[in-house]
Amino acid sequence: MTIAAVVNRLADPNPSPLLKQSPTTVLFGVAIVMVAFNPVSVTSLGAVVAGTIAAILATVLAGVLTAIPTVAKFVLLVPAIDLIAIGFLRYGTGESLSIFSSLVILPIIWFAAEEGREHIWFAFIGTAIVLIIPAVAGQSDSSALSLMLRAAFAAVVFTIAAAVINELSRQARLRLSSVRRLAEERQRALESNEARTNQLAASEASLRQAQRMFRGVWGAVTQQAVIGTDLTGLIDAWNPGAALMLRIDAAEVEDKRHVDEFHLADELEDRARELRYPAGATVLNPGFSALVEEARLGSAEVREWTYRRADGTELPVELSVTPRLDDADETVGYLFVAHDRTKAHEVAKLKDDFVGLISHELRTPLSSILGYLELMRDDDDEQLTETQLQYLGVAERNAHRLLTLVGDLLFTAQVESGKFNLETHVQSMSPIVSAAVDSARPAAVRAGVNLIDEIVDGGMVRGDSVRLGQACDNLISNAIKFTPAGGTVTVTLGGEATHVVVSVSDTGMGIAESELDQLFSRFFRASTATRNAVPGVGLGLTITKAIVTAHGGEMSVASEEGAGTNFSMKLPIEQPVWV
Amino acid sequence: MTEAPQKATVLVADDDADIRVLVGIAVRKSGLELVGAAADGNEAWQLVSALKPDLVVTDVSMPGLSGLELCQRIRADGELSGTRVVLLSAAVDEGAHLAGLDAGAIDYLIKPFSPRELAERLVELTQPTTARP
Repeated sequence: MTIAAVVNRLADPNPSPLLKQSPTTVLFGVAIVMVAFNPVSVTSLGAVVAGTIAAILATVLAGVLTAIPTVAKFVLLVPAIDLIAIGFLRYGTGESLSIFSSLVILPIIWFAAEEGREHIWFAFIGTAIVLIIPAVAGQSDSSALSLMLRAAFAAVVFTIAAAVINELSRQARLRLSSVRRLAEERQRALESNEARTNQLAASEASLRQAQRMFRGVWGAVTQQAVIGTDLTGLIDAWNPGAALMLRIDAAEVEDKRHVDEFHLADELEDRARELRYPAGATVLNPGFSALVEEARLGSAEVREWTYRRADGTELPVELSVTPRLDDADETVGYLFVAHDRTKAHEVAKLKDDFVGLISHELRTPLSSILGYLELMRDDDDEQLTETQLQYLGVAERNAHRLLTLVGDLLFTAQVESGKFNLETHVQSMSPIVSAAVDSARPAAVRAGVNLIDEIVDGGMVRGDSVRLGQACDNLISNAIKFTPAGGTVTVTLGGEATHVVVSVSDTGMGIAESELDQLFSRFFRASTATRNAVPGVGLGLTITKAIVTAHGGEMSVASEEGAGTNFSMKLPIEQPVWV
Repeated sequence: MTEAPQKATVLVADDDADIRVLVGIAVRKSGLELVGAAADGNEAWQLVSALKPDLVVTDVSMPGLSGLELCQRIRADGELSGTRVVLLSAAVDEGAHLAGLDAGAIDYLIKPFSPRELAERLVELTQPTTARP
């Protein structure tokens, strides 16, 4: 049981009306018994009977009011009726000589204990009615004055007693209510304290959990170096991955060394120049500002850097730099997560070496094949027959096809590894497109395809003529390959406001719409190509797109299966034709 | 001064025997004199030092000395100032081409090459107008 509940119970300010009435009822009953044993004391039997009836009535009313609390506001009727009952009893048992006059104190206490000063007046009026009025009304003149004085004196004494009781009970009530308020406040404080304690325990548990999680992750990351620094680059966090990668323990670097000490000064300098020497560099860490500039400006940066270990060895890393924020979202430091790129670099080099080797090893025998075939064709001493020349042609054509394939593979590898350089000049596209159309004519004739060109000099472009020629060759030879005999391939060159457009249309087998978006992927072959056994490996369009993209241009395709295809390449214009 | 101009001498170096023969044929067709053929860079260097040919047609990637190293060594040798180098390479990128010219080669041909074109080029390169002063 709480303290507040105990106080409340002890201090219940509302005893039931029946309880309050019980002393009056009991003592009235005792008085009636005494009257019955001593009938000579009765001066008016009628008054005693009336008083008895009134007392019973008051007791019944108290019972009713106890049973029905909603009518409790009439509770003061009970002591009022009591006063009347006692008045009758006193009158009927000798008036001022009655031994029961003192009974009147009980209802007066009841009145006096009620909250509010007005109840003192109720008590006074009640006393006056009971003691003074019968004295005045019922006696002879000589004795009336002395009776009245006696009654009035008693009334005043009772009233003062009532006032004292009223004041005492008021003070008791005040003390009680303040004690109760204090107890309630204490209870509330206790409850909120308890709630706060519970909350604290819960958040402490989740903090511990988060800490465990963090320590687990921090320790588990061994393949990435995670380094934390303050705003000046001074290292304050160094995970096991960093210790493994840079071969130095956390204890030797935390709060001792700056993160830029593990970078190559040249790389930092180059980057700083690239960023136009961002502010914040100091004598202590000249390169640090270059390292964190983009993170400082709010974006997470990922780029390749070289780490230098304490023993002088170096390793390439992919480093992401992010700002560390405090509660107010202010940057208070940086996080560096590095991923070792040594393996990736080795693989890339291996691939480059392999492609180079393959290219070399395939081109050398092709050199002999093509060279000796040419010698055979050019031999002036022994003229070849028509049939032999025809066979020679087939061998040469296929050797060239192989050579193109090797070139395409090499080129694709170069594009992929980003080692694809353009030798650009400002030039017109029209000689390039014309040459491509001319070189495709023999193939068009062989295939029975009508090759039409509509060339209008659309303007100058900045481009690599060899690569652009290769792109045109690819589109035109593709169009011829995919067009059945009797069909038409149209090559147009024209200019728009900002672009030169080369477009190659055919009346061929077309490409399914679902395959259009894969068309430029490496080694992708359209279903119409495989179904119709059109030769190829699926590199031509990849290469064409790579060339066009490298020139800042765009490739587009439109096709309808069974009706034909149109490929367009748009190259940014360097100089309009009319300039 | 001799009456008839002496035929220019040519040395070929390639680790592929068929290519050596092919280059040799082109040399003969161009009317020049083939004075030797080497199968690797070191052998080529010995022959060049000994024979001091007018032209060396060499493959770039060979065992021993590479064509580029051979070319640099010839350029560095004062006694071989009259020897010019044509590189033959199966590499197609621009970088290789430029590296060849940097090393001091006067021409750079990409494999596969046409023997007819090689012969024509050799004739051009040995014309008096293109000869060194």
